[in-house]
Amino acid sequence: MDPTPPVPHDLSPPRDVPLRLRPPRHRVDPRARRWWLLRALASAGAVTVVIGVVWWLWEPARPWLTAPLVLAALWTAARAVVEPRVRYAVHRWEATDLAVYGLTGWLVREWRVAPLSRVQTVDAVRGPLEQALGLATLRVTTASSSGAISIRGLDADLAAELAERLTAVTEQTPGDAT
Amino acid sequence: MTGEPDAGPVGAVRTALPAEAPADAVDGVVEADHPVADDGTPWSRLAPRMIAVDLARTLLSLSPTAVAVGVFGVEASWSSLWPLLALGAFGVVGAVLDAVRWAVTRYRVTDEYVERRSGLLVRRYRSVRRDRIRSVDTTARLRHRLSGLRVVLVGAGQQVAAGESALTLDAVSRRDAERLRAVLLDRVADSPSAADDGVRVLARFRPWWVVYNMVSIWSFVTAAGLLWGAYWLLTGFGLDPVGWVEAMLPWDRLGRVGTVLVGLLLVLVVGAVGMAASYLATSWGLELARVPGEAGTHLRTRQGLLTTREVNRDDRRLRGVTVSEPVLWRWMGMADTSVITTGLSVWASSQPAAVLPRGPASVAWPVARAVLDADPDPVGAPLVRHARGALRRRLWWATATSLAVTAVLAWLASTEVLPAWAPWGGAVLWPVALLAAVVAYRALGHAVVGDYVVLRSGLAARATTALRRDAVSTIALRESLLQRRLGLRSVAAMTSAGWGRYDAPDIAADEALRFAVAAAPGLLEPFLVGAPEGPGVSGPRGAAPGDPSPGAR
Repeated sequence: MDPTPPVPHDLSPPRDVPLRLRPPRHRVDPRARRWWLLRALASAGAVTVVIGVVWWLWEPARPWLTAPLVLAALWTAARAVVEPRVRYAVHRWEATDLAVYGLTGWLVREWRVAPLSRVQTVDAVRGPLEQALGLATLRVTTASSSGAISIRGLDADLAAELAERLTAVTEQTPGDAT
Repeated sequence: MTGEPDAGPVGAVRTALPAEAPADAVDGVVEADHPVADDGTPWSRLAPRMIAVDLARTLLSLSPTAVAVGVFGVEASWSSLWPLLALGAFGVVGAVLDAVRWAVTRYRVTDEYVERRSGLLVRRYRSVRRDRIRSVDTTARLRHRLSGLRVVLVGAGQQVAAGESALTLDAVSRRDAERLRAVLLDRVADSPSAADDGVRVLARFRPWWVVYNMVSIWSFVTAAGLLWGAYWLLTGFGLDPVGWVEAMLPWDRLGRVGTVLVGLLLVLVVGAVGMAASYLATSWGLELARVPGEAGTHLRTRQGLLTTREVNRDDRRLRGVTVSEPVLWRWMGMADTSVITTGLSVWASSQPAAVLPRGPASVAWPVARAVLDADPDPVGAPLVRHARGALRRRLWWATATSLAVTAVLAWLASTEVLPAWAPWGGAVLWPVALLAAVVAYRALGHAVVGDYVVLRSGLAARATTALRRDAVSTIALRESLLQRRLGLRSVAAMTSAGWGRYDAPDIAADEALRFAVAAAPGLLEPFLVGAPEGPGVSGPRGAAPGDPSPGAR
């Protein structure tokens, strides 16, 4: 099957009209920056500390442990300094009567849209770090196991209220969401 | 020993279905310690012939021990006979449990429910609402076939999705199985010929497809299992298989490499024979057909030599097809055909996604087309090739991976963990990786054809998937740093069927958005620049619509 453009039956929008996706309307809560920083320190930072301790205590390992230690330290620095700023600048979300739209990512950006007619559950989830900062994650799941949308770093009250409102909308939508 | 007394409850029932369900019923399936409703319908037993089958099983499972002692003269001691005795005990216990199960199990079909009562000490009632029944399948193992019995699997609601039956009757006579099927699927019981009207056969068994199914990665596993089983059994009879193998060839003169090669060849041959036998046993008499049902049509597969099985897939749950062509075998024209249906786990063994065994591409493509039966036809449609950037990205990754592997190997060689020639392994990897990158790039393709979106990708197995556009739920666009430099984006279509996620990697950025918009009709349009503003459900309280940042606190 050799591709021989122009393709018959191609129902994509016409090629001469340039399409552009606008970013979702709302930013996440500014406190999310602190949450991302803490998360980076808790994961990459912890690994760096462990490697560092081994490097310091176990002298024969130093020749081959120096490179991993430097890499881990650089990765931690990037996660702690760059990641929160970039994520705060990028992350956006929006929910309409018809769909939930999220833009996430740091090194890999992802635009995700899920129609409310296919949504199965809407939850406001709070991890321990999020609880400490008064934040919550809005998790919207669909019948597809990989189709969930998570909007992280929302104000806890806002997330709870959103979950309630979106649940009300999905309950009005007929169908079994598959 | 006849199935006649069982006919009563099944034959008696044929009425309208009730309206409301018990509140605690999950998909119409209830497991309780009392019957859901008692309208006095008599219970019936499973087929009494099972007792005779169990008796035969007991004798059969003890026969290896008898043969070993009587024919081969194996010393009758625990140490020499334990494997065979264990095998025998396993068989006897299985048969006794089966007989007990027969004694305590009853079933009946009432106006509303199919019910099964079981349990020796604690009585359990399992009932399935008849209006929730989605499938009634029958299977038969060899012992069932020889004795004219059938296992009836009743599938309902989400239970089907979990790959398990809502209710299993193991086993009833063949006549009862057919009658149950007819009654539960609301067809007329006594006119099997009427059911054959409108059956359209899409594919039939071809014995020569065995060549496609002989060699795969599983043949090594098969060979290992067969060889281990043979060794275990033969030593049980007091024979010495290791000695035979040692005497077969002058292993000393072959050297280490020769021994390994001969051994590998032997294992491959044994594995191929095992795979061929397994293919013939499972796929014998295969028939894939579209048959009319009480509500819409079904895709029906019948297959099996020793164990027959019939699987009915509701066409209302069909969301697409996938034709997967493994690398290397692809150039021999080999392909796997599977369907994408909702409410089914990909791993479900009761209703496997594959509708055909591995076979020639010249059959797989027409069958995939016939399964979808769509106009315009998405399966054979020409696909759009992806941008050159996709090739560059793959070449870049191939080079980076080879470099990283070479660097690690060089580092290990410099610290004398590995011999000095080790880095050359990384260097050899490079051209192979580049070749793989080109193959992977050439596999890419996408199109929107009629009601379907078609996606093709994959290095190890080039999978071409045609998915209904209205089945796409979530749509996602991805862009990594490297992809942004190359002007590429990946599109992922999420659905509730099949694998749940189907990817079209590395499409040119503009085309990617256009493709995503077309793949999920109506979903992305409101978020395009210049789209009319819809009413918003949500937003941070107090923030004006259109204000992107609520500001720092």
